Amino acid sequence: MRSLPNWAVTGLSILLVLSAWVAVTRLGLVRDLFLPGPRDLWLGLQELLDEGYKGRTLPEHLGMSLLRVGTGFLTGALAGTALGLAMGVSRKLDAMAAPFIEFLRPLPQLAYLVLLIVWLGIGEGSKISMLFLAALPVAAVAARDGVRNIPPERLRMAAALGASPRQVFWHVVAPSALPEILTGARLALGIVYATLIAAEIIAGSSGIGWMILDAGRFLRSDYAFVGILVIGLTGIAIDRLLLWLERRIVHWAGR
Amino acid sequence: MTALPLTRRSALAAAAAATGALALPRLSRAAPAKVNVGFFTEAKPTMIAKGQGWFAEGVGAPITWTEYGSGAEINTAMVGGSCDIGLATGSVATAAGIAQGLPFQVIGLVDNIGPAEEMTVRTAANIRSPADFKGKKVATPFGSTSHFRLLGFLKTNGLSQRDVTVLDMKPAAIQAAWAKGEIDAAYVWAPAKSKIIEAGGTPFRTWDALDKAGYAIADTIIVHNDFAKAQPASVVGFLKAYGKALGMWRSSPEEAAKLVAQQAGVSPETAMAEMKAYEFVDLPAQTGEAWLGTPGKPGKFAEVLKGTADFLVEQRSLRSAPPVGTFGSALNTHFLQQAVA
Repeated sequence: MRSLPNWAVTGLSILLVLSAWVAVTRLGLVRDLFLPGPRDLWLGLQELLDEGYKGRTLPEHLGMSLLRVGTGFLTGALAGTALGLAMGVSRKLDAMAAPFIEFLRPLPQLAYLVLLIVWLGIGEGSKISMLFLAALPVAAVAARDGVRNIPPERLRMAAALGASPRQVFWHVVAPSALPEILTGARLALGIVYATLIAAEIIAGSSGIGWMILDAGRFLRSDYAFVGILVIGLTGIAIDRLLLWLERRIVHWAGR
Repeated sequence: MTALPLTRRSALAAAAAATGALALPRLSRAAPAKVNVGFFTEAKPTMIAKGQGWFAEGVGAPITWTEYGSGAEINTAMVGGSCDIGLATGSVATAAGIAQGLPFQVIGLVDNIGPAEEMTVRTAANIRSPADFKGKKVATPFGSTSHFRLLGFLKTNGLSQRDVTVLDMKPAAIQAAWAKGEIDAAYVWAPAKSKIIEAGGTPFRTWDALDKAGYAIADTIIVHNDFAKAQPASVVGFLKAYGKALGMWRSSPEEAAKLVAQQAGVSPETAMAEMKAYEFVDLPAQTGEAWLGTPGKPGKFAEVLKGTADFLVEQRSLRSAPPVGTFGSALNTHFLQQAVA
């Protein structure tokens, strides 16, 4: 009992929350409007799977959201990493780009929602751009710091052994910064995921984020909860996938 | 370690002070300490009563004004107990709230929306008949009275949501997308409506046919059940303040438009034009059979709300709608009767 394995503790804590949920809804302590019971949730899920939500099936909504998240995250993280590596290598470039990155990073995405619509319209372009802009600064800062934290003697040693600047970059700088780049990628994904609902506010009629928002308008909490569960579980799945990739690619990190 | 010098006397005094503070609001039942009113910034006579402080005088307490983005948000605030009075909330949100058993009642109307919310089509899109909407993009704020009308328009003209792309956009976003030429039509209210008409739009008349087909929309005044029970005099005073503002709009519209313009941040001409589009219903007329009716004898508005809720069930925005009697009993006309007496 003293040393319960961690997975058991996780299981117990989930079980505890679930049974509290069942108890509270079964005893009628809260109205189904505020917290739908397991039965309502199950029925809501069945309805969404059978009939979809406002013109699209549930997998279609999820697919649209994942496509947006995937495109925004990949382009944003790649561009951000490239920029961050360059900023790490060149102090001049860092001085040039840093103010914009620092400005963009803490900016709430809703702040430039209307501007994105005016510039890019209401299609996928503005939604994906919003996610791109969410991922880019996080990835850039992670990559830059990854380069900065490389011990200088390692670089000097490579140069002393006769490596060209190009070889130093590809064989020393990039692999040394990789662990931080991948950690930055996971962080960026979390932020992109959090931005999804803001992005889907733009002229929505598709996506899980929009569905949650629209269902919430009339307090259809059963649909909203199904949406939240779907978005939360896929978020965990994607994060786990990245973690697995990280362990495979940079298995040496932190040892 | 230092401990607070907690003596028995000081503990007792603190406890007494705490219970006193808790008990005090219950004792002073004469007037509320403050009243939370949810509203929208718009060109209506309500803005006169707000700006001139008539509402605060009417309820006999300072008012905390909170601007909401939609009637649905006011509903949520009612549930959370952070809104006592909802001013000019749409009939769609009102119907949805009553169907869900939210803790509020309808105590009056502000207006019959009529032509004030209407379809606008891009002049260049060449839309002349309902069939021309096929393949077009139409924007509206979802969950609003305009959205309800738009869906009614599609349904009564045999158009499905596959024929027409219906987009969920806030009024500000509609204006932005209109400027970019990305939407062909929009169903929305002023000031966004007049802005997009200026920017190459033409009104497409739908409202009178829709009113007849059961898609009438109106704006209501709702009050939290607890507040209505605890502060009946304040509720009557609030209605009287609106009656006074309406009287001013009737007797000296120029002056009324000027005051409204200041509050809404538009020009007096715009305020005048926008107010002319609404049918503001005088308090005595509200007690007629066509509107709210009298205690025990709810008017036709109960059926409008019931029809709205049934449509929302069809749209799967609501799980179920109660019988018309539930909507009738949510219309509390006692206050109106006292206000006009």
